[in-house]
Amino acid sequence: MAGTIDREMGLDAVDDLEQLPILGRLHEWVITVDHKRLGLMYITGGLFFFLVAGLQAATIRLQLAVPNSGIVPPQVFNRLLTMHGTAMVFLVGMPILTGLFNYLVPLMIGARDLAFPRLNAFGFWLWFFGALLLYFSYIGGDGLYGAGSAPDVGWFAYAPLTELPFSRGNSTDYWILSILLTTVGSTATAANIVSSVFCMRCEGMTLTKMPVLVWLATVVSFMILVALPPLSAAQVMLLLDRFLGAHFFDTQAGGSAVLWQHFFWIFGHPEVYILVIPAFAFASEIIPVFSRKVIFGYSVMVAASCAIGFISMSVWAHHMFSVGMTPAGNSFFAASSMLVGVPTGIKIFNWLGTMWRGKLRFKVPMLFSIAFLFQFLVAGLTGIMLAVAPFDWQLTDTYFVVAHFHYVLVGAIVFMIFAAIYYWFPKATGRMLSERLGRWHFWLFVIGFHLTFDTEHFAGMQGMPRRIYTYQPGRGLETLNFVASIGALVQGIAVLIFVINVVRSLRSGEPAGDDPWDAWTLEWSTTSPPPEYNFATLPVVRSRRPLWDLKHPDDPDWRYE
Amino acid sequence: MPVEGNPDNPIEAPAPTPWPMLMALGLTLVFAGLVTNVAVTLVGGVLFISGAVGWFGEVLPVEHREPLRVEAAPAAIVPATIGVDYLHVGELGNRAILPLEIYSYSAGIKGGIAGGIAMAGLAVLQSVVVHHSLWYTANVLAATVLANLANASTATLSSFIPEAFVVALIIHASASILVGLLYGVMLPMFPRYPAFWAAIVAPLLWTGLLWSSLSVINPVLDARIEWRWFILCQIAFGAVAGFVVNQTERVTTMQHLPFAVRTGIEAPGLGGDREGQN
Ligand code: HEM
Ligand SMILES: [Cu+2]
Repeated sequence: MAGTIDREMGLDAVDDLEQLPILGRLHEWVITVDHKRLGLMYITGGLFFFLVAGLQAATIRLQLAVPNSGIVPPQVFNRLLTMHGTAMVFLVGMPILTGLFNYLVPLMIGARDLAFPRLNAFGFWLWFFGALLLYFSYIGGDGLYGAGSAPDVGWFAYAPLTELPFSRGNSTDYWILSILLTTVGSTATAANIVSSVFCMRCEGMTLTKMPVLVWLATVVSFMILVALPPLSAAQVMLLLDRFLGAHFFDTQAGGSAVLWQHFFWIFGHPEVYILVIPAFAFASEIIPVFSRKVIFGYSVMVAASCAIGFISMSVWAHHMFSVGMTPAGNSFFAASSMLVGVPTGIKIFNWLGTMWRGKLRFKVPMLFSIAFLFQFLVAGLTGIMLAVAPFDWQLTDTYFVVAHFHYVLVGAIVFMIFAAIYYWFPKATGRMLSERLGRWHFWLFVIGFHLTFDTEHFAGMQGMPRRIYTYQPGRGLETLNFVASIGALVQGIAVLIFVINVVRSLRSGEPAGDDPWDAWTLEWSTTSPPPEYNFATLPVVRSRRPLWDLKHPDDPDWRYE
Repeated sequence: MPVEGNPDNPIEAPAPTPWPMLMALGLTLVFAGLVTNVAVTLVGGVLFISGAVGWFGEVLPVEHREPLRVEAAPAAIVPATIGVDYLHVGELGNRAILPLEIYSYSAGIKGGIAGGIAMAGLAVLQSVVVHHSLWYTANVLAATVLANLANASTATLSSFIPEAFVVALIIHASASILVGLLYGVMLPMFPRYPAFWAAIVAPLLWTGLLWSSLSVINPVLDARIEWRWFILCQIAFGAVAGFVVNQTERVTTMQHLPFAVRTGIEAPGLGGDREGQN
């Protein structure tokens, strides 16, 4: 085992394994409790499902490219849609983001590991097996004999449609069980990050000296701890309904049809912020370094993120305007949704303020971050539009909503995931990703993204319904849908270039050195990749940019803080 | 104290372990049994429990830890050779268009009062010279709000009417103070010759404005105003108010401070200490 000097026990076994190097290395990864390895495993797993769910999306867009197309039958379409949405949220967004936090937070707070390393491993494996269980549904149930029983109920699994009479077989059970498992994994990670941030910071790192990313990881972890249990509770209730004949969501027996929606969106809306706040976190580390300036308004940034965390807990029913709530309910949720715009706007201004008069370096991570800024702005604006209840009554369940949330999920979150991977890849692997391929990846992805999702806004306003497997010709939808599908193809090519870039760079990328971007946070002060123990000597910090202090002894930050 | 790792004092880390993974697999199989076969649940249960037992055995009574060999140290961090640029805020006259100094508000108010007194003096003079009455001009001014005076005869307008006097005083005083305040605020923005702008241009401008609009606003008043005296009064006001304002000391504005500082946002490097970086 690398890094081990004491092998009193199991020495022979280790030697045996080393004769089979691949198996031996695999074994090391399987039993590891190192936060960096677990982080990389989360990220790799997430990227794998990104490709799978991306293929599903491509199939969806292929089916919708022309009207009346019969590439996939309706039932298969519903399964693709469900698996795409569920996988993108739970098997791509969550693991990649928690994986990055897993990797970065201990390094950034100058610690040797997370507070509970074994719990961390347990969380990862729960997520991993839960994910496998979801996809096992394709061959489980009647799968081996029939067409597979993958869930076809949407990533929101609205009850009572998911009750036994309307959703026969086990497909819905697969959805419930696997999401239950993966959310337990996420909850474990969240608890771990909170404890580590509060208990494991290195000397001198007060709360006000933590990198913004660490702050936001803490905010997100608290949100996970608050938001995921309602989902698990609802899933257990649905399981009870389905297996034991309870009637929580069964209207005929006095249950409530709207109850599921409340439970789901009490989780579901904070969830979108759980996904997007990490994107904010990466932007807050990357933009300053590539602007050569301190983050503008550190404390405002932190305060705004906490505010977003709180307010986003009180807006869930903006997904339910068309349910027919009371006018007071509608007004409350419309107003609180718009209120979220305030701290969000503050953050956008702070990133712009950071770039203002900076010496910008347009490296690939920065390119993705700048695109993120503009796209997130648009996403926020269409979000405010949807928060106007009468507008939402018109456009809910149209492609306008699809376009809106993909602007957030892709335009903000996926873009910042790519930015983060380009930025921290050198740290994790010791090798740079190619700038040239990175630029191809970036430009194709931007173009493809806008071809797809800009047009979908207009398709929605033309009346294109959401979650529909095909549409009729002659309603002004052909061109828009065709362009959107071309865009999906372009995005696919871009992702392919990214995969090539990663594979090539892992083998023969340019060596990175410890600190390739001339950055300021602690992770760049150790080797690339960092040793198992992170820091031979635990760092001591005096300011928010410890490496700046070391590089500029004549002008350190702590004089000004 | 920083904890040092070296070959004599190896760094300890939690030992790798397969048990958490086994426990997770067990739990997953417990769940998977619901959608496949009870046997799966049973196997899962066994794995789950053995995973838990194995895991506990590793942390109780003492945690298994494993010493790690200290590998190559990271490259030392070299101090940057490039210096740090500063943008000293407000320097270089980069705010030449906005005033760096202004008069205090109180200066404007004082100027307004002084100008108002000078103007009132001239108005009384006009009243005496042209209409042989101390009160005529005051009554005409009061007629802008006292509707019953608007149609009054010249004789009435020449007599002393107490409520008209009070009204005229209020109008005149408040207008003088407000215009004085405006002077104080605007004077620093006039290019080159503030006295010329204050005493001549500004009074002519607003007299022109009144002259062109008064026939619509108040035709009766319009018929009675003597414009030459009116202009004279305005110039007197402008000159005195401008003079008084100009005499007082200026205070510096916050215009040269960065936006963030003015709005009270905290931003390292902007707090008047340093801004540019390399
Ligand atoms: C920041 C990250 C965000 C993400 C990831 C996100 C994601 C989503 C998703 C997935 C939906 C579809 C729900 C469904 O399946 O019906 C949705 C709908 C909606 N979003 Fe967002 N959103 C975000 C931000 C916002 C913001 C900032 C606002 C308002 C200020 C907003 C307002 C809405 C509204 C009102 C709907 C309901 C639309 C409808 O059901 O017709 N969202 N969003
Ligand atoms: Cu929402």
